[in-house]
Formats: sequence, structure tokens, C-alpha cells
Amino acid sequence: MLHYLGRRASYSVISILGLLTLVFFLTRLTGDPSALYLPLDSTPEARAAFAHLNGLDQPVYIQFWNYLSDLLRLDFGESMRQHRSAMAVALEAFPQTLKLAFVAMLLSTGLAIVVGSLAAARPRGLFDRIASVVSLAGASAPDFWVAIVAILVFAVGMEVLPTSGTGGWEYWVMPIFVLMLRPFGLLVQVVRGTMLSSLASPYIKTARAKGLSRHAVVFGHALRNSLLPVITVAGDLATSLINGAVIVESVFGWPGIGKLMIDSIIQRDFAVVQSTILVTATAIFLLNILIDLLYAVLDPRVRY
Amino acid sequence: MKRAGIYSLVSAALMAVAAGPALAQGGSHDVRIVLPEQPANLEPCGSIVTNVGQVLNQNVTEPLTVIDAKTGKPEPKLATGWEQIDADTWRLKLRQGVKFHDGADFNAKAVAYSIERMTGGKLTCNNMAKFGNAKLTVKPVDDYTVEIKSDRPQPILPTLLSVVMVVSPNTPADKAVNDPVGTGPFKLTTFTPQTVVLDPFDGYWGKKPVVTKATYVWRQESSIRAAMVETGEADLTPSIAIQDASNPKTDFAYLNSETTAIRIDLAQPPLNDVRIRKALNLAIDWDGLGQLFGDDIQRASQMVVPGIIGHDDKLQPWKYDAAQAKKLVAAAKADGVKVDTEIKLIGRNGIYPNGAEAMEAMMTMWRSAGLNVKLVMLDVADWVRYLQKPYPAERGATLLQMMHDNNKGDAAFTIPIFYRSSGQYSVLNDPALDKEIDAAMAASGQAREDGFKKLFDKMRNEVVPDIPMFHMLGYTRVGNRLNWKPDITTNSEIPLANIQFKN
Amino acid sequence: MSAIPSAALPPSRPRPTRARVLFNYLKRDRLALAAAMFLAILVLAALLGPWLAGDSATRLGLRHRNFAPFSLDAGWLYVLGADTLGRPILPRLVVGASNTLGIAAAAVLTSMLAGGLLGLVAGYSESWYSHVIQRGADIIMSFPSLLLALIVLYTLGPSVTNLVIVLAITRMPVYLRTARAEVLELRERMFVSAARAMGAGSVRIVLRHIAPLVVPTLITISAIDFATVILAESALSFLGLGIQPPEFTWGAMVANGRGYLSTAWWIAFWPGLAIMLTTLSLNILSSWARTAADPQQRWRLQQLKKAPR
Repeated sequence: MLHYLGRRASYSVISILGLLTLVFFLTRLTGDPSALYLPLDSTPEARAAFAHLNGLDQPVYIQFWNYLSDLLRLDFGESMRQHRSAMAVALEAFPQTLKLAFVAMLLSTGLAIVVGSLAAARPRGLFDRIASVVSLAGASAPDFWVAIVAILVFAVGMEVLPTSGTGGWEYWVMPIFVLMLRPFGLLVQVVRGTMLSSLASPYIKTARAKGLSRHAVVFGHALRNSLLPVITVAGDLATSLINGAVIVESVFGWPGIGKLMIDSIIQRDFAVVQSTILVTATAIFLLNILIDLLYAVLDPRVRY
Repeated sequence: MKRAGIYSLVSAALMAVAAGPALAQGGSHDVRIVLPEQPANLEPCGSIVTNVGQVLNQNVTEPLTVIDAKTGKPEPKLATGWEQIDADTWRLKLRQGVKFHDGADFNAKAVAYSIERMTGGKLTCNNMAKFGNAKLTVKPVDDYTVEIKSDRPQPILPTLLSVVMVVSPNTPADKAVNDPVGTGPFKLTTFTPQTVVLDPFDGYWGKKPVVTKATYVWRQESSIRAAMVETGEADLTPSIAIQDASNPKTDFAYLNSETTAIRIDLAQPPLNDVRIRKALNLAIDWDGLGQLFGDDIQRASQMVVPGIIGHDDKLQPWKYDAAQAKKLVAAAKADGVKVDTEIKLIGRNGIYPNGAEAMEAMMTMWRSAGLNVKLVMLDVADWVRYLQKPYPAERGATLLQMMHDNNKGDAAFTIPIFYRSSGQYSVLNDPALDKEIDAAMAASGQAREDGFKKLFDKMRNEVVPDIPMFHMLGYTRVGNRLNWKPDITTNSEIPLANIQFKN
Repeated sequence: MSAIPSAALPPSRPRPTRARVLFNYLKRDRLALAAAMFLAILVLAALLGPWLAGDSATRLGLRHRNFAPFSLDAGWLYVLGADTLGRPILPRLVVGASNTLGIAAAAVLTSMLAGGLLGLVAGYSESWYSHVIQRGADIIMSFPSLLLALIVLYTLGPSVTNLVIVLAITRMPVYLRTARAEVLELRERMFVSAARAMGAGSVRIVLRHIAPLVVPTLITISAIDFATVILAESALSFLGLGIQPPEFTWGAMVANGRGYLSTAWWIAFWPGLAIMLTTLSLNILSSWARTAADPQQRWRLQQLKKAPR
């Protein structure tokens, strides 16, 4: 296991470096940022001065070389927008997203497992139908739509919750609710699907024949064997939340890393783009290693 | 850059925010303002950026002069008087008894330091863009008098000085700062990714404002900003979308000194035929299009707003005449102009509200006039390649969606960049026109004004190098506690001194 | 031995065709039948809509800006209201169906096929290319989709094909990882060792034995992924990187209505509802298909018949 972990870790580091190289060169294909940081009516001389000040007038491979040598000294560059360390900017924003993503994934996975299993226990029954329709409606609704309507209803209309911002638990309710919708909807369907297959297996018939309660059969036996695809999909959803809780962050004013990344990409703030991708990629790679380890824990047939 | 101070400020701010909405209103003269975007930094030399200026200008930092929006002329602020010594030199008298937030004295040496910091080239200073490539040298004559000398004639230097934000001589000259120290009535207490907080400065030289604390937050969605003022979570938002401005008691519109237009690339066929350019102006249902921007929207006949020196109040904008447009296109076609050449209408995402819809509408109207127009929406970095010289070589015939902001009171900041052959946005190349422009720029007083007016008339009636659309409106929402109305400068600054309270 | 007189035997019925069997299964599940009919109407709208609607979906109606729904004052075309440029929403839904379904189907199918195949390889083999594939998937997962969209659009220009490529690439990792996870578990099963013992090569084992067991989960995921792709295109449209006007999709219509939710809710609501109903139908149908295809579950859809005596 340790051998496997060591190998995965080294592969991951190589991949992250590859990712950073890719990002470095590809982002510089997307146009000259000088035009974005200076007023539109700046003179060409002013733009040349800006490019020189920020090292943008050098050939790309020289810029890359400087970037790599700075990396060795743990200098991740300076944000052209915010005039401070790019990594500080990224690390300030990351915990905001992590908090939201963690709570949302925990709640949605837990709820989805319960609801999906119960739905699979009596397929095409009333509970199954209602659970499917509700979860799918939530999963396919545009998230800004739900967010803004929720704010209009609960904050402006009923005045029971604040509109936006960070703070005590009342500030978390709507953002978490909106973030949970798609993961919950997809996971309910995945759990239901895999549980349906498991519940049809012979060993389940044996368990029932032995007289085990429905509860024990569903949650004690069938569930554990259906969890592999569920964990995979949950992991993919978690990583997409890390990258993209953008809508929730921008509507509710949480200064998270999703919004930071989008703004930096649009503004061509290269150092911050690279730093945020480094932070999120590390998180994603770690999460994937964790999930692969979970496979081995949950299913003894899986061997590395 | 080590920011030990910021970390303690951050934790203090987070604790304050975590204490919940109860703290939102605080003292009765505290103000909470919600902006559309986070100010990326608080460098005073970048205060021409809307979000930065709305926080800093005349609150934390003050300029040497301010422009009077109605006359376009400069008024005293930190400089109390000025006289022109020769074509390149001006002498300024400075205000006495002014101190910076960190205790330093405001005097000629401080002004010289600020200007040198701005022009030194060690940091990017966007405010200086209006000066072009001019070089300035500042000489303190005595403690409260400076002489500013430029390397080229500066007939309107006091107007230009309205962007010079004076900072404490203790400010580093070689890097941008996020904790500016100025002379304004408020000092910066907190700057985090979630909020900016300004507290009053007791040593201010002028009248103490009524506002006792200002907290700025930001939300990207207009409907959320409007909702925040409605529920009382915020007192003021300087920018909401027109469709959210539905309550006449709290929502106020203001002319915001921006003019929207389409620039015609008249070097490329078929746009090089003036009949086609006139047809482009005539084919648009201006009343219908204007509804996208509000009932009070003003149709533009030239690229500056009324109140700017050089604006010709008598100039009439183009009127909708679809039949005439079709006739002009047909006449051009009959003369052999290839009117079915594809014309690219280049739009820019998010340039102004309903911008994409406006482009779609205009494209449809031009197509029904017989022209082959194709819309391409680009993001800002891509769009800028078409805006500024050098233009991409293979661009073909293009129409460029653009918006021009001139709040400096003088058409000198508009005419050369658009119409002189050396201008950054210009597609014209006419030496006679260049001479006319240069003459007007060097003149002063009435001759200057008349020269500019004549140029705008010529563009509108003879040359038709662009399609001026509208003088844009901004919409603000003001909560019930405040007594405040926006004006033309609101797009660039929100002086807290102008905020009063209803009691 | 006397044979049973042939007159007493019930006439032997011809075996029903595959299609007929499936249709019977469909009839037994009312909800799946409704879903199938909705999707059939949708596909019809996608194919015939642009031809039927003519220019009613794109003609400007600046006097009818943000016209409210549920009134026939401006004609029956406006019964669902009008958008910010006064164009009636009902014909736009019909015409937008073809772009929406086309782009989403192309992206989902491509990513499902590519991701599924690569996942099968990555899960079954142990050699170096399995690791390369997985790390490639990790890299794609870490690469922000907006950045990819920006790069592709900036360098290759905006076009529907490039949009589909971007959407397919960003959705691929989930199929890859799910397929791999299932294969990891399946390859240790008895039937795989049996097949190997009988001399089957790896390719045959993977494609003929393992793949059919992996496909149902992938299809479940793809049914919701449809909605994810449509909404991802909507987010790109909001930033101006999606489909270019005057072409439009439901996602683009939803993006346009974003600023009007409190004042003209119908602009974003009807296309959002269409997206929801399509996703719901796809999902119900895929869950029905999963039941029909699984020999151990099929009994739920079959009619009990008494055997002839």
C-alpha cells in the first residue's frame, strides 16, 4: 500500500508540473494583458512600459525559465491586479470554497445514499417516483436561477435569511442549499441504479430468505457493494465544486477560489491563474488518491 | 511583499463580519455601500478605475483640482490657485494647514514627491494616461508654491491635474500600495477580499462630513444589490441594471459621461463609401433601440456628453429612415460597390448592460437594409486587439462596438484619439484634418471651443467615421436613511461628504 | 402412443419482434411511456422546428420587449411571453431545441464513448499507459473549463464544433473514472477468469464481457450529464463564449434572462423548464432501459401470462 501511495504521489507531482507547464503556455496564447490593465486610451509607449515592467515583453520560454526558477524559491509571482503575492491571494480564497464544498458534499452524499437506497428498495413505487422527480428537477435547474429566486423569496419576501455575505449559520443556509442540488440529484440516481443491481443479486435473496429485515438487507448488505461508483461520482462532483462553485460565490458574495479563478482568467492575471490552478489541482489530486484508497478499503477484490 | 499588518486587520474584519447582521447598521451615521465589483487594489494612481475611484477619490486621497461637471472647468482642491507662466509651465499655489493621515505635512515637497512617483515609471500609473507621453518636472518654489513644467505645450494643465492624487511622502515610490495614505476626510482601516472600511480622519483640513464610518462590500448580481438596499442590508448602491430600477422613490438615474458608439473601419470596402456609412446610421430604429437602455436615455450626436467643452448643443443626431438607407445602399451597389461583402460587427461581452442585445438588434436592422453583417461577440482581451492600433491585418470590414468615457470636461481627451491619424482608436488618415485638430488643441478659450465644435460637425455631416448611439445612464438605488442623489461624477467617485441623512 | 390431436393444441403464435417486445415493456411503465413521447415530440421539434417557425423566432419586436406571458393580446405565438428584444419565447423554444439537443447529444456521446473506452483500458490493464490515462484524466479535471473554452475560442475561433469539443473534453473524466472503478471490481470476478481460461484475449474480455456491465452506470450518468452540458453551455453563453448570436440554445436563453429574474421571470423560466423536463424524461427513460436490459430485472416490465394447459 505504501509502495502504491509513493508511486501515486510521484506520478501526481509529475502530472501537476505538466499541468502547470500546459497552463503557462496556453494562457499566454490568449492575448496581451497590457491592454486590460491600462486605460483604453493609453499610448503605445505606456503599454510597452507596462509590458516591460511585468516581464511580458520577453520571449515565452525565457518567462517560463524565470517562472521555474522562482518556483524553486517558492515565489509564485505577483498578481498584476492586486499587487500582492499571487499565492497569498489563492490561499486566502481557497478555504472559503473548501468550507462550502465540504459541507455541501457531506450533506448531499449522506442524504442521497439514504434517499436513493429507499427508492431502490421499492422501484417505481410512489417514493421512488417523487424522489426521482424532485432530485432531477433540482439537478437540472440552473443554479443562479435557484439562488436568486431563493434570495428573493427568503431574504426579500419573508425576511428570514440575509441576502448574501458570510457570517453565522444563517448566511450558510442558502449557499449550501444551492450547492447541494446537482450533487444530490445525480447521486440519488447513481445510488438508486447501483442498488437496483445489487438488490437483484442471489446473496440478497439469501439474506431475505434468512429472515433479515428489509432495513438490514438494504443498508447492511446491498449498500456496501454498490458504493464504488457512488464514491467515484461523488469524488468527481466534489472536484467540480472546488473548481466551480462560481455561481454561488458570485451571487452570495463569498470570496472563494472559483470566482477568483474566473476573474483572473478573464483579466489574464497569469500569476494568480497559475497559483489557483496549483492549489486546486493539488486538492483534486489528493482527493483522487483518497478515493482510490477507499476503493481498496470498501472492496477487497480491488487490488493495486 | 510582507503584509503583517493586513493579517491582523483581516482577522479583525472576519470577527466583525462573523458577529452577524446586528453590526450592519451600527452607529446612526454609518453608511454601507455595495459596489458591483471588488476593487482589485487601492493604489491611488489607479483611481481612474471605477471601483477604486468610488472608494478613494475625495474620501481617502484628494486631487489638486476637481472638475465642475456643469462648466467643465477646474476648481481648487489641494491647489488653491494657478497661473500659466509660459506655454509649457504653470505655477500652482497650494493649500496651507493640510496634513496627511500619517502626520506628514502637505507642502510643495509632498506634491513634487507624489507627481514624481506617478511619472517615475517604477510602477504602472494609469491616472497619467490622460497626459499621453508628456514628461513633467516639478520644482518647489517655496513651501506652498510649485512650478510644473512639461516638455510640450499644456494649455489645460489644471484640468489634467484633477487626476493627480496626492499621497504621503512616506509612500513607497517603487511599488503599488493597498493601504494609501492621503489627505482626505477618511482613512483606510480595513481592506479584505470581502470588505473595505473607512473611518473618519480627525485632522482633516475641511468641513467634517456627517458620515461616521463607511463600509464597502461587493456583489456581482444587480438584483442582489437592489435587494440588499431594499432589505436595509445596505444603504446605497451606485449601479443597478435598468430593469431593477423599478421604484421611483429610491431609484435615481444619472447621465454618467459615457457615450456608446460603433466605430466604422472606413479603410475597408465597402465601408469606404460614405453612402454606406450614412446608411448604417439611418437604418437603425433609434427609438426602439433606446428602449433597451431606459426611457430617459439620450440620443448622441457626437462622442462627448453635454457639458464638455467642445460639445455642440445644436448638432442633431441621425434619425431613423429605413427607406433612405435602402436607397443609399442601392445607389452604392449600382455604382459597383460590393455591398454584399461580409461586414463583421465586433461586440464586446459585458461592455454595458444589454450590449449584446443591442448588437443583435442592430445587426438585424442592417441586414434588412441590404448589408451583409455578421455579429461576433468577443471577450475584452480579444476585442481590444481591434480597438487599438496596430489593428489585425486580416480583419476585413469591421464595425466595432465601443463606449467612450470623458469626464474631464474637455473634448481634447476625445477628438485626437478618435479622429487624428495618430490617435489610438483612429482609422482616419487625413493630414488636413490633423492640422485642424492640432490647431484647436493648441487654442484656448472660445477659439478652442469653436474649433472642437466644428470638428464634431464635420464628423457628423461629412466624414461619418462612426455611429454615435447614446449618452448612457447609470441607475442607483438609495436607501431610506440617506439623502443623496447621483450626478455625472458618480461613475468615478462617491465623495462621502455629499451624503446626508434624513432624520 | 397417441399424439395429442393437433386440433386440441392452441395455435402457435409467431414470436413477437424485438421492437414489439420493447414497446410492450414501455406500455407497462406509464411514466416511461410519457417520457418517451415527450422526447419524441422534442426530436420532431428539433428536426422540423426551424422550418416551421420561419423567422418568427428571430424577428425583432422592440415594442414587445419583455412582454408578459399568459395573454393572447399579441397573438398566440406570444403566449409564453417575449424576451428582452421582443422575440416570442414559444417559437424560440422550438427552434432552440435543435441546437440544444444537437450540441448536448454530441458532447455527451463523445465524452461517454471516449471516457468509457479509456476507462475500460485504464481499469483492465496494469501497464504504464493505464497510469498515463489516469493522470491525463486528473489533469483535465484540474484544468478549469472556462480557461479551456477561452483558449480554444481564442485560438480556433468561435464555432459550434469547437464548443462541442470543449464540452466533451471537460465532461470526459467522470466517465473515465467511473468506468475504471467498475472494471477494477469486475476484472477480479469469476466469469473473467473463466473467459481467460477459455483462451479469450484481453480485448474480447473487455469489450464482450466487462463493457456491457459498465454501460448501465455510464448511461445513468449521461442522462443527467445532458443537463450539466446544457447548463455549462449556458454559463459559457453568459460570458459570451458559448454559441454565437443569432444562433441560440435554451442555455443561451436562460443566460440572457439572468438579470431579469425579479422583473421578467419568464425569459429564463420557460427554457429552464424545458431543460428540466428533457432531463427528467431522459432519466426516466434510461432507468426504464436499464430495467429492460437487465435479465434479472426484466420481470418488472413483463406481463404475467398463464401457461396454456
